[in-house]
Amino acid sequence: MWEQIKEIYLYREMLRNLVSKEIRARYKASVLGFLWTFVNPLLTLGVYTIVFSVVLKSNIQHYSMFLFVALLPWNYIAMSITQGTTSLVGNVSLVKKIYFPRAILPLSLVLANMVNFLLGLIILIPALAITHIRFTVALVAFPAILIVETLLVTSLTLIVAIGNVYFRDLEHIVGIFIMLWFFLTPIVYSIDTIPIKLRTLFKLNPATPIIEAFRSIFFYGVWPDWRLLGWLSLALVIILGICWFIFMRFQRYIVEEI
Amino acid sequence: MLAVKITDLSKKFRIYLDKAPNLKERAIFWDRNRTEDFWALRDINAQIGHGTTVGLIGRNGSGKSTLLKVISRILYPTSGSLEVNGRVSTLLELGAGFHPDYTGRENIFLNASILGFSRREIKEQLDSIIAFAELGDFIDNPVRNYSSGMYMRLGFSVAVHVQPDILLVDEVMAVGDLAFQKKCLEKIGEFRSQGKTIIFVTHDMSLAQRICDEVIWLENGALVASGKARDVVNKYLDLVANREEERMLHEHKQAISKDEMQTLEINEVEKQDNNAQQDSKNVTLEDKPNRWGNKMVEITAVIMRNREGIESYSYECEQPATIIIDYIMHQETQNIVFGIGIFRNDGVHCYGTNTDIDHFEIGAYPSVGTLECRIQNLQLLEGRYRLDVAVHGKEGIPYDYWTKCLEFSVITRNKDSGVSRLEHQWEIKKA
Repeated sequence: MWEQIKEIYLYREMLRNLVSKEIRARYKASVLGFLWTFVNPLLTLGVYTIVFSVVLKSNIQHYSMFLFVALLPWNYIAMSITQGTTSLVGNVSLVKKIYFPRAILPLSLVLANMVNFLLGLIILIPALAITHIRFTVALVAFPAILIVETLLVTSLTLIVAIGNVYFRDLEHIVGIFIMLWFFLTPIVYSIDTIPIKLRTLFKLNPATPIIEAFRSIFFYGVWPDWRLLGWLSLALVIILGICWFIFMRFQRYIVEEI
Repeated sequence: MLAVKITDLSKKFRIYLDKAPNLKERAIFWDRNRTEDFWALRDINAQIGHGTTVGLIGRNGSGKSTLLKVISRILYPTSGSLEVNGRVSTLLELGAGFHPDYTGRENIFLNASILGFSRREIKEQLDSIIAFAELGDFIDNPVRNYSSGMYMRLGFSVAVHVQPDILLVDEVMAVGDLAFQKKCLEKIGEFRSQGKTIIFVTHDMSLAQRICDEVIWLENGALVASGKARDVVNKYLDLVANREEERMLHEHKQAISKDEMQTLEINEVEKQDNNAQQDSKNVTLEDKPNRWGNKMVEITAVIMRNREGIESYSYECEQPATIIIDYIMHQETQNIVFGIGIFRNDGVHCYGTNTDIDHFEIGAYPSVGTLECRIQNLQLLEGRYRLDVAVHGKEGIPYDYWTKCLEFSVITRNKDSGVSRLEHQWEIKKA
């Protein structure tokens, strides 16, 4: 396995190029160009705020920030997985003609979306300041939570990337799954509103602790639940190992399966 | 230590007889596998030492590209093993991963990174790559504006600067203009002198003999021969010649039976509407456009035989060939001349002669007989030819003039050109 990681390091330039290609491509050909990076989350924020806060009358203070703080990490997960499904299948010509570590393709998407997340912070921080939300020392925990989230994102992206090669309709199934998952995670609502009977079920959702952790440090200004995050990280490391192994095993045959 | 060691390598592909599988179909039809196994490579064994230049030859579909892909780890073997020592660069297609919106310069970075360069390595080679590609100011234009030739030059320039230990080249050299091909060959020559290992696919036998140390010949996924370039290429050409012979023989037989069918049909028609007297003098041949004459003497068959006496319609340049003409005289005469004419299939008249010109005298022609024309050296160059055969009177009245009575082909192993080979030698004299 170390060989494989070493190889990816050797190809880091390709990783860098793919990430920058992804980011540039996303915004270059459009009218507003780079501004889309910011307009997109802002628009989503606006719409959701109107629907959930005004129309559905949620009683959460500063609802738009409450939501924003959760939307950014959620997009990191959702976009990575959605784009990940087509990362191998959509690059047939490249894969069939040249050798390179196949994992680079899904990994480049994870990185690109992480960068998007970080760019989103450029709006988040000022927005939080404007709405008078206090910044506390807890913000320092950000990198740690990001790493935990990355473990989750990487595992899932790798699995859907290789899975879609063998089962072509995974693309569509994943789309539906992401939508369900969105509503099963306390993003647009608070975790307190979940009926106690169902709370344990919701706790099985690995995205919940992560979203809650981000909310803790950005919105509430308190430290996240470290114990919970600790157990989660352990589980995710094992899951990542399994997904990595599956990916590496089956990526040998993708040229024939594509 | 060898550069590449291939042991009992086999590669099987599963061909799905219906469309791409998905979750739904696999779940429902899990026990109904409509697949077929296709063995692209079977038990290949080869050892390639460092610094050797190896040519890979074989018909289309024989497994050459598959073998290259297995060596470059794009495909994995089904069974057997593969050992590769050294950095591998594969040219299966030029410009893989070019992004149309990026400029040539930016694409160099992208393309090079896909080939495994680090940023520092690319920066070092950048100027050399740009110079080699000869794109001038276009290097800073988006690649979508490039012509296919510029595309190729850029892709080739990047791939060639990879500094691999082992270079694998598929038929990329087949495309591109002459200048580009010359450049490719020069670069390969450079690599050879640097002691690098090169494996490339080619259909150009003279190229293979010129620059390869060894040649591997694949057919239907199996290794037919491998070894010194000259030996393997000659074996391959032998087989090609044999196949050509069989094919020509087959075509000849088909042409004959088609002729016979036509004759039968026309005879039927004639019998039906002409029961008047048949003046033997005025027996005219039916309206077959390539044959005419009054049929006083009739040619019944024309075949060609090779030096072993076997009927053959495919020859190599400078081999002996014999034309055999069977004839019947319907009316006794000694006013008789046989002639042959050889035309290339584009109409060029290559040679023509007759028994009169050649002063061929025999006492008397038998009324039923076989005339042979023995050619010691068929010095015609590569091409398809047709034979005209005629028998006529000395003053020219045609008895049976049969054009295009048979077709034959000639193969050469050399690249000389023209209509026929003139025997010659080269010699240099001091001033």
